[in-house]
Amino acid sequence: MKKPTMAIAGLTACSGCQLTLLNCEAELPEVAGCFDLIFFPMGISGGDECASVDVAIVEGAVSTPDDLETLLHLRSRSRFLVAFGTCALWGGVAAMKNHESRTELTKIVYHDVAGEVLTFNPEPFHFFVTVDFAIPGCPPEKDELLALLSSLLRGSFPVFPIYPVCTECRNRENRCLLVEDNELCLGPLIQAGCGARCPAAGIVCEGCRGPVAEANVASEMELLMQKGFPREEIISRMRRFCPEWNYEQRH
Amino acid sequence: MQKNFLSNESFPLFLQGLAASGDLHGPVLTDDGVMAFRPICSPADIQLDCIRTLIPPKKYFFPPKEAILTYSPVKGYQLTKAAGKKVILFGLHPCDLAGIAYLDRVFLESQPDPLFVKRRKAVTLIGLSCEPDEYCFCGTMGTAEPQNFDIFMHRTEAGFYLSAGSSRGKKIIRRLSVLLEAREPPSPVPCECKIEETILQAATRGETFSESRLWEDFAGRCLSCGACSLCCPTCYCFDVQERGRLDGETAERLREWDNCLFKSHGEVAGGHNFRKTREERFRYRFQHKYLGFGPMRGIVSCVGCGRCRDVCPVKIDLMELFREKANIL
Ligand code: SF4
Ligand code: SF4
Ligand code: SF4
Ligand code: SF4
Repeated sequence: MKKPTMAIAGLTACSGCQLTLLNCEAELPEVAGCFDLIFFPMGISGGDECASVDVAIVEGAVSTPDDLETLLHLRSRSRFLVAFGTCALWGGVAAMKNHESRTELTKIVYHDVAGEVLTFNPEPFHFFVTVDFAIPGCPPEKDELLALLSSLLRGSFPVFPIYPVCTECRNRENRCLLVEDNELCLGPLIQAGCGARCPAAGIVCEGCRGPVAEANVASEMELLMQKGFPREEIISRMRRFCPEWNYEQRH
Repeated sequence: MQKNFLSNESFPLFLQGLAASGDLHGPVLTDDGVMAFRPICSPADIQLDCIRTLIPPKKYFFPPKEAILTYSPVKGYQLTKAAGKKVILFGLHPCDLAGIAYLDRVFLESQPDPLFVKRRKAVTLIGLSCEPDEYCFCGTMGTAEPQNFDIFMHRTEAGFYLSAGSSRGKKIIRRLSVLLEAREPPSPVPCECKIEETILQAATRGETFSESRLWEDFAGRCLSCGACSLCCPTCYCFDVQERGRLDGETAERLREWDNCLFKSHGEVAGGHNFRKTREERFRYRFQHKYLGFGPMRGIVSCVGCGRCRDVCPVKIDLMELFREKANIL
């Protein structure tokens, strides 16, 4: 059987997601044996920029005209487009100030040359193109990437959790920082899959994996406000990894 | 008269003696202050005053996530084998014992679950009497009277009155009888619970509280965090997932604790969902806990341990339904 072809690329991001792939050290030979990696600028030089591929795994947010062009190009030449990581899926850390004036922000950073900067608000892929699969996380979990690759090989859908970080947190018998210590933990709103990594180390969930399906945002806000957190503080924490929440959403 | 009394002084020796029959586990405080059933390293670690652990003892028979089946072209389909390591599980309150009795009916009766069977047989259940707090209502479910134990230890100021509930328990007591003396046990103090009658009557008449406004209130507040059923000693719903490996040939089937308040609980192929809204899911949760279904119809599965009311971050409490109807607050 012909090996499926794969492209791995990044838009505006820190390359941490692509590093996750390189960190699959034990599995890399197997991955390389299963897929024909024809384009991976970060890992292999001289890939084919134009060939069509079965899978394109792409990290980063869309924030420059070049990003948009790359994304459209990758979309049109791939069978499956995978939004890899929270930036690709939700906007991520680069998008945390999307509600502020772009012109002002650019001036603060670039002063006199601000006018020449062509970037726009970092946005997730689904604002521009159809996304077939997504792996959340900042950075994503290695196991979920491998699960997705295995499913793609078989032509089946990968199974990811449809519950929040709290579920994994309770199962690990962690101390609940929200209930016991009245800390601003976003666990109830955030897609599980990390094994409640942060609360297990005594740190609140900052929400790096983005919203879970049917997140009860309004109820979590009420609860945190009852605990004395100002609405603005809650919103600014929620925006760290995902700029656009519906704060009235209950279901 | 049989030797049945264990003094506080002899208690550490008794625990040592128990440990000769298997790995001793019991309620301890973890480093970050969570009450949990864990291996006991020193008798001093045991939390005799533990009111309830976060995760109930079901984890010993039915862990949160495990592979139940593997496939490879060479070995074909293979059921997972449980290690079946001998465990002495100390400190089970009557509600937790009743919870295990309920799971026994689910996993041991009509279609025994091989993993559950193996692990259940390997665990010796040592019950311990307790003092209820404001979240408990076990009197209600008739669980204040202990059942389903190998040994039950009724705690008093001077020590413990032991009774055996199985031949395994009898053997252990006999083996450790040098540590015991014969004493007349105190007469049991009945455990009173105001809501008992209300719940049992409602369950008998198949009450669904269909008109209550509380459903909407619950659905609006619930975070679907999962805690209420992960922490429930009788919730046994699980999800089954197939995970193919990268080699394209081997695969495993996992099962993982589920919660009926999750979106995916009633979801089937094609995206159809039997319980689309959280409100419907709450009604379903209530009906399973208090009315039962399938072969367990008519059996109240709530054992009154109080965990769900205690752990819910938004303090949702199904008891409110009964209280609302009966006008008791
Ligand atoms: S610590 Fe955070 S993630 Fe863990 S159960 Fe509590 S709210 Fe959920
Ligand atoms: S606990 Fe929250 S912040 Fe930490 S890794 Fe998981 S999703 Fe990210
Ligand atoms: S429903 Fe709640 S009180 Fe009843 S057994 Fe389950 S956790 Fe305990
Ligand atoms: S514990 Fe409370 S908030 Fe969490 S799923 Fe259960 S009812 Fe909802």
